[in-house]
Amino acid sequence: MSTTLRFSDVRRRFGRLAVLNGVSGAVEPGGMLLVTGPNGSGKSTLLRCLSGLLAPDSGTIEYREDDGRLDVAERRRRVGVVAPDLAFYEELTVRENVEFFARLRRTSSQRGFAVLERLGLPLDRLAGALSSGMRQRLRWAWALLHSPRLLLLDEPFQNFDRAGEDGARMLLAEHLENGGLAVVASPSPLDFDHVSEHLELGV
Amino acid sequence: MSRNTSSWASEAAAVFAKEWRCEFRTRYALNTLALFAFTTLVVVSFSLGPMGVARSQGTAVLPVLLWIILLFSVAAGLPRAFVQEEETHTATALRLAATPSALFCGKLLYGLTLVLALEALVTPAYLIMTSLEVTSPWLLAGVLAAGGYGLAAGSTLVAAMIAQARSKGALFSVLSFPVLLPLLVLTVELTRGAASGDPAGVSLPVLLLYDASVTVAGLMLFPVVWNP
Repeated sequence: MSTTLRFSDVRRRFGRLAVLNGVSGAVEPGGMLLVTGPNGSGKSTLLRCLSGLLAPDSGTIEYREDDGRLDVAERRRRVGVVAPDLAFYEELTVRENVEFFARLRRTSSQRGFAVLERLGLPLDRLAGALSSGMRQRLRWAWALLHSPRLLLLDEPFQNFDRAGEDGARMLLAEHLENGGLAVVASPSPLDFDHVSEHLELGV
Repeated sequence: MSRNTSSWASEAAAVFAKEWRCEFRTRYALNTLALFAFTTLVVVSFSLGPMGVARSQGTAVLPVLLWIILLFSVAAGLPRAFVQEEETHTATALRLAATPSALFCGKLLYGLTLVLALEALVTPAYLIMTSLEVTSPWLLAGVLAAGGYGLAAGSTLVAAMIAQARSKGALFSVLSFPVLLPLLVLTVELTRGAASGDPAGVSLPVLLLYDASVTVAGLMLFPVVWNP
C-alpha cells in the first residue's frame, strides 16, 4: 500500500468567520497539490488541518503510509512542515537546534546537516542571529530531517535569495521524484513542473 | 518495546537538556527564582528571626514561611515552562516533533531540578537565619524531596494548561490554588513534624500519593491540553 493523502469537505470556522467551506482534494505518490488563493482564503488553515495542528470542524482527512491509515497524532509526527510561523530556539545554534529536533524525531542529525550544507547555512550561528532567508533554510532542514513522505509547505520560497530558492526547488523536486507527496500553499501560481493538482481557494 | 522506551527516554532527556542549555544562556528562571527567594528569605528571616519568634512558636510558624518562600519562588519562574514556547512560536515545532508525554516529563524533570536546587540553597540558609532546629533531618530531607517534586509536577501541569490561554497570569493563580493547596498543607505539617520530632504518620504516604496522582494526571491531561 502506498502513501496517499485524501481530504474531503473540510470545514473550519474561527468564531463566526468561516475560513474553510468544504474543501476537498487528494495527492498521490510523486504528486504535488498546489493550493492558491488571496490572503485570508484559508491556505494556511488548510495546511494546519492537514498536518494535524488544527482540528477541522467537520470533514475527513485520511493519510495513509505503508503501515495503513495514520491517526492524527501519528500524522502530526510524520509530516514535514515548512510554515512562516515555525520558529526555533534563538538561544541555540543551528546545529544544536537540528540535533535537538533529531533526538525528538528519533533520527540522525545528518539529513538535516546535509540539507543545510546544500542550502548554504552555517551550523554554528545562533538561530536568533539568522536573517529571514536563513531562517527559511533552517525550516527546510527541519522539515526534511526525518525524511517525511508528505511535505506540507506554506509559502516555501518566501524570503529566499535566488540561490536559496533554487536549492529548495531542487530539494522539492527530488522529494517528488523519490515518490514523496507535497501540498504547497502559495498566494500566486508557482512556476513548477511537478504540480499535479491545483486547488483554488476564495475569500 | 524496550527500544521504544529508550527512545521515549531519549526524547525526554533531550527536552531536559535543551531546557537547561537555554536556561544557562538566558538565566531567566534562575535569576527570577534566585531574586525572589533571596528577597523573601532575607525579609522573613529579619522579621521573624531568632529574636522575633519564641522557640515554641517558631516550630509552628517557621515551617509555614519556609514553604511560602519556596512556593512563591517557584511560582515566579516555573509557569514560563510552556508559555515561553507559545510566545516564541517554538511550540509548533515541538507539537510536530515531540511525543507529548516525553515532552511533559522532560519539562517536569527540568522543573524538578530547578526546585531541588532552590531548596538546597534556601533551606539551609533559612534554618540558620531563623535558628529553626530540626529534630528529624531525614524527614525534612524527604519532605523537601517529595514536596519539591509535587511543586514541580503541579506547576508544570498548570503551566501546560494555561499556555494557550489569554489571561495566563490570572489563570495560573486560579488553577494553582486547588492543585497546590493540598501539597502545601501536607508539606507544612510534615516540616513541623521534622522540626518538633513528631512522627510523620500517614502524611508522608499521602504526600507521595499526591505526587503520583499529579504525575499520572499530568501524563493523561497533557496530550489533551497540548494538542488541538
